[in-house]
Amino acid sequence: MHAVDGVSFDLDEGEALGLAGESGCGKTTTALSLMRLLPYNGKIVSGSILFRGRDLVKVSDLRIRKIRWKEISIIFQGAMNSLNPVRNIGQQIAEPIILHEKVDEDEATNRVGELLELVGINRDRRRDFPHEFSGGMRQRVMIAMALACNPKIVIADEPVTALDVMIQAQILELLERLRKELHLSMILISHDLSVMAETCEKVAIMYGGKMMEVGKTVDVFTDPKHPYTQGLVAAFPDIRGQRTMPASIPGDVPSLINPPSGCVFHPRCKFAFDRCTAAEPALAEVTPGRRAACFLYPGVPEVTPRPMTVEAR
Amino acid sequence: MGATDAVVRSGVVSPFQASLRVALRRMQEVWARIRHSRTAMVGLAILVFFIGMAVFAPWVAPYGPIDRVADTSNCVPGVTCPLSPPSAQHPLGISEEGADIYSQVIWGSQISLIVGIFSAMVASVLGTAVGLVSGYMGGWVDEVMMRFNDVVLSVPWLVLMIVVAARIGTIDLLGLILVIGLTGWSITARVIRAQVLSVKERLFVERARMIGSSRSHILMRHIFPNAFPLIFANTILTVAVSILSEAVLAFLGLSIYNTVSWGKVINQAIGGGALVIGGNVWWLIVPGLCLVFLVFGFYLFGFALDEILNPRLRRR
Amino acid sequence: MARILKVMVRKGVNAAITIFGIICLNYALLRLMPGDPALSLTPRDPKYQGLAEYNRELFGFDKPPWEQFAIYLQRTVTLDWGVSYRLGLPVFDVLMRDLGWTLVLVGTSTVATIIIGMVIGSIAAQKRGKPFDILSTATGIFLYGMPIFWLGFLLLAVFEKGSIVGHYFTWWPALPSQGYYDDMLGPWSWDGAHLTSAAQHLILPALTLTLGTLAGISLVMRSSLIDVMTEDFVTTAKAKGLSDRQVLRRHILPSGLPPMVTLIALDIAFVIGGAYQVEVVFNYYGIGWETIQAIDNLDFPLLQFIIVVGGVAIVLANLVSDFILLLLDPRIKVT
Repeated sequence: MHAVDGVSFDLDEGEALGLAGESGCGKTTTALSLMRLLPYNGKIVSGSILFRGRDLVKVSDLRIRKIRWKEISIIFQGAMNSLNPVRNIGQQIAEPIILHEKVDEDEATNRVGELLELVGINRDRRRDFPHEFSGGMRQRVMIAMALACNPKIVIADEPVTALDVMIQAQILELLERLRKELHLSMILISHDLSVMAETCEKVAIMYGGKMMEVGKTVDVFTDPKHPYTQGLVAAFPDIRGQRTMPASIPGDVPSLINPPSGCVFHPRCKFAFDRCTAAEPALAEVTPGRRAACFLYPGVPEVTPRPMTVEAR
Repeated sequence: MGATDAVVRSGVVSPFQASLRVALRRMQEVWARIRHSRTAMVGLAILVFFIGMAVFAPWVAPYGPIDRVADTSNCVPGVTCPLSPPSAQHPLGISEEGADIYSQVIWGSQISLIVGIFSAMVASVLGTAVGLVSGYMGGWVDEVMMRFNDVVLSVPWLVLMIVVAARIGTIDLLGLILVIGLTGWSITARVIRAQVLSVKERLFVERARMIGSSRSHILMRHIFPNAFPLIFANTILTVAVSILSEAVLAFLGLSIYNTVSWGKVINQAIGGGALVIGGNVWWLIVPGLCLVFLVFGFYLFGFALDEILNPRLRRR
Repeated sequence: MARILKVMVRKGVNAAITIFGIICLNYALLRLMPGDPALSLTPRDPKYQGLAEYNRELFGFDKPPWEQFAIYLQRTVTLDWGVSYRLGLPVFDVLMRDLGWTLVLVGTSTVATIIIGMVIGSIAAQKRGKPFDILSTATGIFLYGMPIFWLGFLLLAVFEKGSIVGHYFTWWPALPSQGYYDDMLGPWSWDGAHLTSAAQHLILPALTLTLGTLAGISLVMRSSLIDVMTEDFVTTAKAKGLSDRQVLRRHILPSGLPPMVTLIALDIAFVIGGAYQVEVVFNYYGIGWETIQAIDNLDFPLLQFIIVVGGVAIVLANLVSDFILLLLDPRIKVT
């Protein structure tokens, strides 16, 4: 079974990319693939992940371990489960610092204190265990940990999903501030388009394990090209606009075990025509700076079995 | 009061029948998963083989379990006995008492299965009752029951079983089933109690409590059906344990007098010199292998079922 | 710290209640069941009548039941446990002697079982779905379902001096069994010959018990670690760039091991159950062997305290495991 297929995007330094889509469409799998962290029953079949001229799919295990956290770190969605319950948070934050930077214990402890203060936690709490923090505070700990080795890229996988609205805003603000201050590149994964609209320069829309549309956030949200993106944007209630029932897209998320033929979205697409059931559209430029995978636009080629490519500069 | 309660009250179905129906519906879902589990199917195949052996024993076995096929009145144990090593007519040889061992092994499947299944049922009913009540009532009832459970778990089970056996006697089938069943319920009680504690906190139970359902109603209609699949899987595993218990008792000489079980055949094999040089080792090996495979079958099926029913293991 | 102390006190009280419960259950089992209690404590052989008289006096069998119970409790606490009919020796002395040898057997096997079982379980968990995992899990379930006495006889048939295999292949290693050590050496003393002989005599029984109980640990270790491995914090640890071994040592084991402590303690009851069978098969004269003899000879004075000693051993093992757990796992809640 192919969980993710035909995913392609690039990320510049200091840039934030949003990865959006319904749950189960392969966002997290994409994120884990970037760091070669797929679970025991998953693997990258083909494709390339170019990071500073190196293909992360092909580098040795030792090399990828050196890149993990030092260059690319990740913030997972449930901070409760992402922190080890039997070790205190200081140990957990210090762990990658000691591992990657070969500093001594005192230096690491000092850095942990700085990191905690950076995310707004008193440095004396470093001896506390995860269960002694509230949900929002735990997510702050997770962020401090992600920044421990000054990475180039931070992947934030649904960083605020499990939190209540007030805390969500605080955490997003914190992330945004730190990104600007530290000049980080970020991949923000979320099903919440408003989060993307506020933080990301670029967005990539995923559906059924495929990428549907990629482009500048403003452009994609104001003038969506792909029918799925159109549905998604329409389904999103405008907080300043009139209070109407959001339009939903009829039908269900496709099964990954038994995907539909042709375009994965065609069973739910109101514009679908014969070619959509027969062939699969490739992601191609439809207007300058915008790519979409849809046959409604002339010049969109059919998919020849094509690998996943991700580029980071 | 919901519509189902009205049906129950009008006497069409008892609450127990109704709860059993819910449980059976869940069992059907489970069956669909079992068919896709290779482990479960291998286990099931082994079980079908031995159940077939037990059911068709009267037709498959050439002789009765304690029929004398040879005169052993003049034999000296361990010297001129066993009378006959394996031969075409007696594939596993003849025992010291002059019985056909091959037939005994086939008949032995009956006792192992009957004792195993029925004492597991006794243990499961007892354990489930204790677990349900203890988990659901909580408070001092739970405290008292769990302390008693600790006591039963702490007394070495084999000694407990032998002492109970020595006191009520195991010469008949019912006695044997009771001994093994009455000493084997405490682990089941713990497992069920833990399950009840988790089901109790779920929303639908909360809701039922809010609309004013009685305790017994909630217990029978909501908690029992939800715990039922687990009880079933646990019973399967208890059968395996009970079969082993019967074998150990028989090996120690506590067995039913007028028939044979595999444990008893092994006991006789040791007494009859199966281990002596030139002795009939198959007398020891074959009934032992039957035991191992039958228990293996129950474990495979039970573990697979547990994995299917236990959401903690099902994740990913 | 005060919180932990509170939990410890509560666990200690529970253990004490359980031990008292065992003592009561034991009393109920042996005397309140149908039949004459005094008779059930009387030996078959008339030559032991003197001993029976002594025990009758000691436990006050002619007194009313409640008074008998009080006497019984008092004797239990003062270790004044009466005289064994079969041996004509004080029960306490007999049990202490046997307990030593049983502890040697159970201790050796338990340590071996825990170490080997944990190693196999964690390798299997790491290689989940690979041949090693499938093979070790299937073998594990197979061994788990094997009657320990039968396994003992198989090993006896293969390895014992003068065994069938040894008969045909003279180079085959032959190990002694039957008893604690070679009887020819005379009474026990702490010299090389005795120790070597005792170690050799220990191999087969300990091997049987280890093989028979190994799977209980390895299977649980495997599923417990796999459970932990699917936790998100393990992915975090890998994302940090730790090697598989570092992830296992620093993250998986520290949170996977505490639950194992409880399971190992529960397993000790199972090991003791297995020890009875092993001692009978190999004629290793420990508590288990003594128990079977006591039953055969209706040696009830001995039997009643075997239950108490065995039960107390298991309660203490559980209590120690609870304490270890408290120190290992910061998550423990006061319930």
